[in-house]
Amino acid sequence: MAFLEVEDLTRDYPGVRALSEVSLKLELGRVHILAGENGAGKSTLVKLVTGTENPSGGRILIDGQDAKLNPDLHRFVAYVPQELNLFPHLTVSENLFLPFSRSSLSGRLVNRRQMNRDAQSYLDRFAISAKPGELVRDISVPEQQLLQIARASVNADMKVLILDEPTSSLTSTEIERVLGIIKAFRDQNHAIVFISHKIDEVLAIGDDYTVLRNGSKVADGQIADIDEAGLIRAMSGEDIAASKHFQPDIPDEQSPQVPILEVSGLSGTMFNDVSFALRPGEILGFAGLLGAGRSEVMQTIFGYLKAKSGSVKLNGTPIPLGKTSQSVQSGLLYLSEERKLHGILPQSSLRENIGISILDQISNWTGIDLASERQKVRDVVKAYDIKAAGISQQMSHLSGGNQQKAIIGRAMATRPKVLIFDEPTKGIDVRTKTEIYKIMKRLAEEGVGIILVSSEMDELRKCSNRIITMYSGKVTGCFDSSTTKNETLLGAMFGSEANPDAA
Amino acid sequence: MQPNPFLSVLRNPLVGVFIALLVIFVISAVASPYFLTSYNMSVVARSLAFVGLITIGQSMLMMLGELDLSLGVIGGLCGVVSGMLMINLGLNPWVALLACLLLGAALGCFNGLMVTVLKLHSLVLTIGTAGVFGGANLVLTKGVAITNIPKEIQFLGRGDLFGVPMPFVVMLIVLIIASFVIMKTPFGRYIYAIGDNTPAARMLGIKVDTVRVLVFTIAGMLAALAGLLMVTRLGTAQPSIGETWVLPPIAASVIGGVATTGGVGTPLGAILGAAIIGVIENIIVLFGVSPYWQGVVSGFIVVLAISFDSISRRYIRGDR
Repeated sequence: MAFLEVEDLTRDYPGVRALSEVSLKLELGRVHILAGENGAGKSTLVKLVTGTENPSGGRILIDGQDAKLNPDLHRFVAYVPQELNLFPHLTVSENLFLPFSRSSLSGRLVNRRQMNRDAQSYLDRFAISAKPGELVRDISVPEQQLLQIARASVNADMKVLILDEPTSSLTSTEIERVLGIIKAFRDQNHAIVFISHKIDEVLAIGDDYTVLRNGSKVADGQIADIDEAGLIRAMSGEDIAASKHFQPDIPDEQSPQVPILEVSGLSGTMFNDVSFALRPGEILGFAGLLGAGRSEVMQTIFGYLKAKSGSVKLNGTPIPLGKTSQSVQSGLLYLSEERKLHGILPQSSLRENIGISILDQISNWTGIDLASERQKVRDVVKAYDIKAAGISQQMSHLSGGNQQKAIIGRAMATRPKVLIFDEPTKGIDVRTKTEIYKIMKRLAEEGVGIILVSSEMDELRKCSNRIITMYSGKVTGCFDSSTTKNETLLGAMFGSEANPDAA
Repeated sequence: MQPNPFLSVLRNPLVGVFIALLVIFVISAVASPYFLTSYNMSVVARSLAFVGLITIGQSMLMMLGELDLSLGVIGGLCGVVSGMLMINLGLNPWVALLACLLLGAALGCFNGLMVTVLKLHSLVLTIGTAGVFGGANLVLTKGVAITNIPKEIQFLGRGDLFGVPMPFVVMLIVLIIASFVIMKTPFGRYIYAIGDNTPAARMLGIKVDTVRVLVFTIAGMLAALAGLLMVTRLGTAQPSIGETWVLPPIAASVIGGVATTGGVGTPLGAILGAAIIGVIENIIVLFGVSPYWQGVVSGFIVVLAISFDSISRRYIRGDR
């Protein structure tokens, strides 16, 4: 019998039905895949099942009882959100056990020594190398991600564990660890809900699946009966060729051209002496492990971080470092990996979010021309296929994929010369990914210089003409993406001294 | 599911504040026969003008995610300095007023530079600078008012224009300009963007620090304007001017829909909030509430007003 049953669950928000009569069953000892594009209703379903929000219709049965009559039943459900939400200034063990009432440390006073001792056993189980007494802000991002999973499992009543994209900011070795942990929980007779956009992980670990699209259930069954193409088709409602290539055709390689962007001897926090050139019409990929310094290099080129030494030339003319306003003015844009932190204006409308970058194009002495702003924003929304209830919809209510497209559209509205994409498809579904790849290819062929920083090897190989590898703050090689073997690239990413191709 | 047009009007935060003001206004008019008399209305409008000028500046700072607790003290200091320039130095009153407007701008600018260059927390910094500016006021005046402010400029504080008190007219003009800047200029959009998400605003190439310093400067200048109008109203430069201008503008802004965390709200909403507080204080006096109880009653009504706003937000506008 299913431990948790959801029957005809519906949730309405003002103006939208986020979830429409969805039913599913979670059984102990099985991994249930919850799949769907951004905005399909996965997060809404999770919020209802964890009791964070109340359904507008339908019911949730936990252990055979109606959760509405007995909200206490939600204690059986543990949830690991996609974003890190730890307390950075508290220690690892405090983060693990807060609130103390749900762990066994329920006395009036906190016994730090006992708490740290208990914490160590959890840390060992999850192979986290951080010490119980360390502050969370001092440990690495992957360890924080693992700590988050460990924290959910401290809940002694846990029967259902929901993991929302637990691997999105992890590299392959850490992903193996997470998948191993999930298997261990499954074998201890827990029900696991696993949400991920990475199809290979889903196929490797899932037992059952449910696919949501536009708030409704469109498919369910056993993973054994479905393949990658089938799953993608169910999620997007159409066939998408997942293995296609998106490298721009470089027009004429022989003619000697001035590089669009030339970086020489750049040093800053976390990296040293980085030099490279971006040629017209190409997509230049940047590969490396977490913490290799790729984002830092890009943010320094853009002027968001301070450079220690070195220079950046745009179309042959040096640009001053350390000033984002200067970079934007000269046509160099950077799209951050942290969409929420560095990208969107969450409380403002979609119109204001896109309009903000084109204000000087649409203002005269009577101020901003609102009609022409609306028109231009509608054009961007159309050109980049941004799905929203309207241009006055609040930005934070858009799905992640649509936020990302809005940010790209906003950047393009300024007609930049160079666009740096930092993990542009993090947390984004397969269909939107493909759309973003197509946009990058189109831009490159129109002559915009594109740099792509990515942790997904597959993405780099698909899109970039050349790949630069970094390891611990240094460039370790530059490879032609179509002729280099994966092992060579991985070697360079892990710091072995590869011989850089002449490419 | 189409959004209900009636509900979407109610979702505009300005409508909520306006309805609240209307309700309080009607209750006051019914409850006291004196409330709607032209004399009483001009008293309410005049006192709203002074706090209103500070509120406009403070609300713009709050939209940025900043606060300036020294605005009231800047108003007071600029007021007494103008008195000294006119009386002790015999300067032309108009020149003195202009000089003190610039002084207010400079003091605001100083706060802004400290916040941006040294990356100080504006709340804590301005507690400090409020002490410095307020102390300078006492050092200069020794706590004694400067009397005999020239009659030729007293119309600014005491005069009427078509029956509307002069300071209120000035405040309305400032409000119209501020609303235009906020809604129709890139500068205004930058204020919202910075208040909403500062790192994102920097990533967009907005000159974040320049905008912040400018808004601090504008707020300082508006504070000076309020102080100067008060001097011309009283006919004396009192060292105590501005003492009550610190917290009401912040409360008014919050009532009017400006978030202390930045990114939302309008100066118009803040002024409506200030009007709510002004009417409440007026009606308490009209009812002859004992002065000892006035603080309790007006404070309680403010708490009631923001609770009402929060509840209506949850149920009518559907926020969480």
